[in-house]
Amino acid sequence: MNLVDVAISILCLGAGSFAWLRWLRVAQREHYLPGAATQFALRWWNDRPANQMLGILAVCTAIASFWLPVVGILAAAIVAIGPLGLGVRGRTSPLNWTRRLRTLAILSGVASVVLVIIALLLGIGPLGAAIVVLLIPIIVDAADAILRPLEKRASEHFIESATDRILRIQPDIVGITGSYGKTSTKEHLTALLSGDRAVVPSPRSFNNRAGLARAINEHLSEGTEIFIAEMGTYGKGEIQELVSWCPPEIAVITAIGPVHLERFGSLDVTLSAKAEILAPASVAVLNVDDERLAELAGRLDATSTRIVRVGSHSREADVVVAVQGSEWNIEIAGETIGIIQAPRGLQPTNVACALGVALALGVDRRVLSQRVATLPSVEHRLTSTVAPSGVLVLDDTFNSNPAGAAAALEALEHAPITGRRVVVTPGMIELGHLQRSENQKLGSRAAAVADVLIIVGRTNARSLGLGAHEHSSCEIRRVRTREEAVAWVRTSLGDGDGVLYENDLPDHYS
Amino acid sequence: MGELAVLFGGPSPEHDVSILTGLQAARELASSGKPPLCIYWTKMGSFVLVDGALEASAFLEGPPSSATPLVLSVEEGGGFQSEGSSRRKASQRLAIDAVILATHGGPGEDGTLQAALDLAGLPYSGPTVAGAALGMDKLAFGAVIMSAGIPSLPRVALMKDLVAVPFEGPYIVKPRFGGSSIGIDVVADLEVAKARLTANTHLANGAVIEPYRPDLSDYQVAVRTYPSRQLSAIERPLRSGAGSGEILGYADKYVGGEGMASAPRELPALVSESRAKEMLALADRVAEVAGVRGVARIDYLANDDELYVNEINTIPGSLGRYLFIDPMVPFGELLSDLITEATSSPTHRYSAAGADGLVLRGAASIAAKLA
Repeated sequence: MNLVDVAISILCLGAGSFAWLRWLRVAQREHYLPGAATQFALRWWNDRPANQMLGILAVCTAIASFWLPVVGILAAAIVAIGPLGLGVRGRTSPLNWTRRLRTLAILSGVASVVLVIIALLLGIGPLGAAIVVLLIPIIVDAADAILRPLEKRASEHFIESATDRILRIQPDIVGITGSYGKTSTKEHLTALLSGDRAVVPSPRSFNNRAGLARAINEHLSEGTEIFIAEMGTYGKGEIQELVSWCPPEIAVITAIGPVHLERFGSLDVTLSAKAEILAPASVAVLNVDDERLAELAGRLDATSTRIVRVGSHSREADVVVAVQGSEWNIEIAGETIGIIQAPRGLQPTNVACALGVALALGVDRRVLSQRVATLPSVEHRLTSTVAPSGVLVLDDTFNSNPAGAAAALEALEHAPITGRRVVVTPGMIELGHLQRSENQKLGSRAAAVADVLIIVGRTNARSLGLGAHEHSSCEIRRVRTREEAVAWVRTSLGDGDGVLYENDLPDHYS
Repeated sequence: MGELAVLFGGPSPEHDVSILTGLQAARELASSGKPPLCIYWTKMGSFVLVDGALEASAFLEGPPSSATPLVLSVEEGGGFQSEGSSRRKASQRLAIDAVILATHGGPGEDGTLQAALDLAGLPYSGPTVAGAALGMDKLAFGAVIMSAGIPSLPRVALMKDLVAVPFEGPYIVKPRFGGSSIGIDVVADLEVAKARLTANTHLANGAVIEPYRPDLSDYQVAVRTYPSRQLSAIERPLRSGAGSGEILGYADKYVGGEGMASAPRELPALVSESRAKEMLALADRVAEVAGVRGVARIDYLANDDELYVNEINTIPGSLGRYLFIDPMVPFGELLSDLITEATSSPTHRYSAAGADGLVLRGAASIAAKLA
């Protein structure tokens, strides 16, 4: 071990710290799912020729540092700046130094340094340093795997506290899950019930284990009669765990769709993962427009669970919100209880789910038909505003899914726009093996409705473009970031034009 | 010489609005060189000390992460103490001269918090225990103003054995205690009203029934009592377009970004001079008979021919600051007067005079009393 080796190793580690921060950020943004950093690293280094070349160069120079130590610095420098396009700081999600992240940072950082020291002692300092820096995504994932059981134990305390709270306050718990529509259904249900009961919904995005415990500990006050818990999941077993300490009396499944399909693998797995919510419930509200849920309802009829079928198309459902032109026809048990102006931007099946729950909780149906007429819209779910320039802006940027995207395009089509219609979208993600086909469909539908389609980023550019080319009347533009799209909209559109912002990808997707 | 404090939040439906009012007051005091201690009362009922420069969004997910837990000690010389932890110093009592209460609804506006602060010996702005309790009880307030000869719509307690309502329908049913925007129903007749008693749990603690008069418009006036009783301009709040029925809903009043201060309104209201004079005279009398202290907001129902006092809010949204436009009372002055009133106009005076031992000396054994 000589001083030159030590100096080179330190320089490598210094450069590597940028990579370290970058992959920590990705791990955090992906909710510390096992292997997330490594998966994303592989994807990014492969996503464009420039990155592939840089990647190969980094590996070669790392190996070469065995014979010529100083080129190890080059390898480290490459992983410090690359992969191109994935910054250290991030646009949509800068590092949030939570306790969990700090612990992960310390463990992965210390592990890296220790490995380099071992390499120095073995006489291959620069080679070791270069390799360690290249392998940082794997080190971060490994450290996370080591810490996972400890994190679980630490969160136990909050789960116990939440369980005690539930036992003491004894609210009626409504659990809502589904591939999409959870938040909207929760907000509709809150609006339908608030006039009659003390309702507390779980706050936005608090839908996993830690979030639900926090929602209960910090928002479930004494005197709460109904707690609406949104339960999200990425895989089997998660909801089963949630309902073991937060058991819902009424369970709702809003839809089964190709969302997070990469993680689930197949729609059947998605269905069984979501269906875990039904175990403790005495009432199940299912959107039977979805054929998988209709089949599930049929199977459940034989059990002691009371099934409430809701939907927009199926006529034998217990609650039907049928769309007739610009009106909604609301039927309960076959009887029309109200015909209202279709509220803008709301999905009838989500409203139907909320109605199903409200009825199961005993709210009078005439009261309900009045309240449905005045349901407020859901933020970033197809809200519309008029910009100072006179451009109508439809904001549907919160987590897109195929059904929501189709509805948004319909809204753009029917909106009072005299000028040009523009769609800005990066496409949809996490659709697994359906991602290409669904984005192609989206591109095609968008081009049918819009005069200009602006494709943001690279992730779905090809599929969107393929679909859009089916309609030659639509101009296709490609930009790298949403900011560029917004800038174009600001300069090119004016009074009478309209733009739909459909979905927004976190920036660690290119 | 201690500090000023602003207290906001609390376990009530108006928790979020209270955060807005409190942060506005804290900013105003800070900008005039007197940054106050900010005490946030969580939905769970605990007290924490927070940074007054925070934005409303910092409270979205619960108490801000930088909050310091406090303990309220309700004994003479008690008050708010920051909890000690083993690593740092032992618990420390916050030296507070006066607390500006920005707590809307629930225990913050019905006398509960006021009573706790009285026991702790902390001076505070706004209503006394009695004034707050009266303001929160629609039935009692209605009875008090009626007995003082102040015009108001007839209002009776809605109970399940009520045989007949002494006025014709349709009716409005409201929770007896609580704010003016949640749990309200318009019903056609007494039978439906009684059905709502069981169906609507907001009515479980008591309900009142009044005639439903959609032909009357809402008007509001604020009144403050220090240095002397002063009335604000008259306002006619407007409903948001969604058409949530004819009654001002929670969304109409509060979902505008700055709480009450940004709700749509006609200010000053377009009323005749004689009508304005009537409203102001009534406000004065209500303030007198209801024992108003601090800033209260009086709500009326009126059309061209009729004028009624409807309700009172003893801690109104944004402390009613947007109403004092003519003559203009800047927010800073409003707050500073509230503070002076808090310290110079005491809210309670407890005394054990009269318990001089006579009864104890003359008592035989307790056992004999129980035999």
